[in-house]
Amino acid sequence: MAILTFTLSEEGVTAFRDALNCLSKFSEDVSIEARKDSFFLSTMNTSKSAYASFRFATNRFFGRYQYQATGQFQDKFYCSMYIRGLISLFRSRSGVESRGDVDKQTIIDRCDIAIEDGEGVKSRFIARIIFRNGLTATHRLPFEVSMPVHAKFNRQEALYHWSISSRTLKQLVDHFGPGTEYLEVNTDGDHVNFTCFSEKTISDDAVLKKPLHTSISVETDEFDDIDVEDKLQIVVSIKDIRAITQHAAITGNAIAARYSLPARPMQLSYASDAISCEFLIMTVGERGGNPAQRTKKARKGASSSNNHIPPHLEATSRRTSAAPSQTSAEIQRQQSEMPPPASSRQPSNPTPRLSAAKASASRIGAFDFRPSQRPPPPTLRSESLFVDDEAWEPVRDEDEDGDENARLEWDHSADPVSDLVNCW
Amino acid sequence: MATEVKPLFRAVSTSPRPLYQLLRCIDFAQRVHVQITEDGIRFAADNSRVMQGVAFLDKALFSAYTVNFPPSEDGETPDYPNFQIPLSTFLEVLQIFGSVDVAARAQKADQDPYRSNIRNYRPNAFSNHTLGIAGTCTLLYAEEGDPFKIILEESGTKTTAGLTTYLPEMPEDIPFDRNDLTFKIIMSSRTLFDCIAEIIPAGPVKLTITATKTSPFLTLSCAGDIGSSSVDFARGKDLLETFSINDRWSQAYKFDFIRHASEAMRIASKVSLRGDSQGVLSLQFMVDVEGGKRSFLDFRFVPFATHDDGDEDDVEAEEYD
Repeated sequence: MAILTFTLSEEGVTAFRDALNCLSKFSEDVSIEARKDSFFLSTMNTSKSAYASFRFATNRFFGRYQYQATGQFQDKFYCSMYIRGLISLFRSRSGVESRGDVDKQTIIDRCDIAIEDGEGVKSRFIARIIFRNGLTATHRLPFEVSMPVHAKFNRQEALYHWSISSRTLKQLVDHFGPGTEYLEVNTDGDHVNFTCFSEKTISDDAVLKKPLHTSISVETDEFDDIDVEDKLQIVVSIKDIRAITQHAAITGNAIAARYSLPARPMQLSYASDAISCEFLIMTVGERGGNPAQRTKKARKGASSSNNHIPPHLEATSRRTSAAPSQTSAEIQRQQSEMPPPASSRQPSNPTPRLSAAKASASRIGAFDFRPSQRPPPPTLRSESLFVDDEAWEPVRDEDEDGDENARLEWDHSADPVSDLVNCW
Repeated sequence: MATEVKPLFRAVSTSPRPLYQLLRCIDFAQRVHVQITEDGIRFAADNSRVMQGVAFLDKALFSAYTVNFPPSEDGETPDYPNFQIPLSTFLEVLQIFGSVDVAARAQKADQDPYRSNIRNYRPNAFSNHTLGIAGTCTLLYAEEGDPFKIILEESGTKTTAGLTTYLPEMPEDIPFDRNDLTFKIIMSSRTLFDCIAEIIPAGPVKLTITATKTSPFLTLSCAGDIGSSSVDFARGKDLLETFSINDRWSQAYKFDFIRHASEAMRIASKVSLRGDSQGVLSLQFMVDVEGGKRSFLDFRFVPFATHDDGDEDDVEAEEYD
């Protein structure tokens, strides 16, 4: 007897596949939980440090959805399945060679799923895939009836939150190298720093014993809203973040993060039309000195002291990088309005920095994401790469004045290039 | 050149690509059995006498085709030359063809930096391939016991490969009774390929093919480690061009064997599935080769013996419910 039957359209199959692909990056098994009016896919990884769940709106996502309460499943049905089996079932059928040739493509018309269990019936997840050309494929996968483990998140406890466009976040995450393990998020004034690093050494022989340490500083204006304790360092696994952002970028909606203190879980959530996704990942990290100080921004462009300035026109990236969503044209503008270095900040040898900046200006097209090369003095920089801990502390927190100087408005002169030259 | 003694067999092709495509489909055995006749060459690969694949290269595929068989004693049908050659080596040799052109172009590019930097991605109007003077590939079998020679000539380079010929093992063809067919289905080969691709993820060992008079007409099913899968034509009768069946027919085959034929399914345009009363499955593929010619590939499979023991019943029951 079928406990649960539902129908997926072609888009539904794709959405299911995306969700399963994301879940497979956490664990090998997926838990299915179905009620009369809700359908969940969830998983927890083996070390119990990450939990992912997808909730499907039964009335909008499924073409037909019917839950038949029977036997032990009066209230809800639950089971656990091997993800690989499900992924291969919902895989994309349009091969590379047949692309463009519509006749040769095997396009899924719809997919009828039935879950059967009970006495005298084999426990099977039955997927009947009906192709547009008339073929019908029936797949029967076994499952195990086991209660899903859900992670709980206390929203009251999570004081800090931010939300950002998932595409922007994905662009940021794309810059982090393959060998890295952790992602640190901290705030510093009106910037949020994403730092990706690894604790493990690649090999003892190499000069650089640790893989690339990448830091991206993002203006708070990139965030839809943000309310985080200043200098709070939250460290999470980059692998989990990558899996989440990859899926979130498909939906394209804003992704919201909520967390409290290190060693407490962080919640990442986003929703699309018929699917809402929630992830809980464990954090480590360190708390800054001043819990009272907050980095805050309610909505884009609101309540900032200098909100008459369009966000992009500020001289943004002070340290290593600019937010990647900026176009190169904007970056060029920023270049042109880059102020002379504040004397209080860099009293010693200003000349090498100037030349470095000029050099970078000439290569602007090639290095979009590192437009204003104003590296910190050599000592600071080498520390930040090879010595741990205080390297991740904000480097120049004392000179707020310098920041104010840096926030120049767009100079309306016509030629940015000549401007650039004049500026230096 | 020995002009007096004519070679037993000599065939010239200007484009050995079809030969390569066809022969690659039966690349599942170490050696193939070669038989040369007046109409063409027959390559037969055999796997433990339960699977057989035959590629017949019609003489129309060659631009020149000459045989010179010694007349046999009784003066009727001559003895056709029979021998075995390693197929993978033959395929490798055929792949040499065309490489000279690439090498020549690379050399030219070195000498002419203008071409190498700017025009490299463009199809070269003066390449041998475009001009259709791609050189020649000659197959030569001088006399019995001689190596089977492949001579490739292009752009002034001549490559000669001699493949050792082995004594024929004379494997009997798998007996297939054309007069006692249980069913015959002709359909697009691509559809069969899709069916097989659909059930591969289940990791099957055994593939069961069932043909029935009524819906679902033709079913391919299997049970693997992560579940069972089946593909049927209940809604897709239009996909079956010819469908004649005498009786319900169901046989199981080793999946790996059927999978060996998937290259043929991929390149062919049509496939004819036939099963005789003994359960032998015949797959005939029609391949459209360059120049509007047609070639055929023929596969035969011997089914698993049908004495079901207990645990197999279990699997079968699930497949047919």
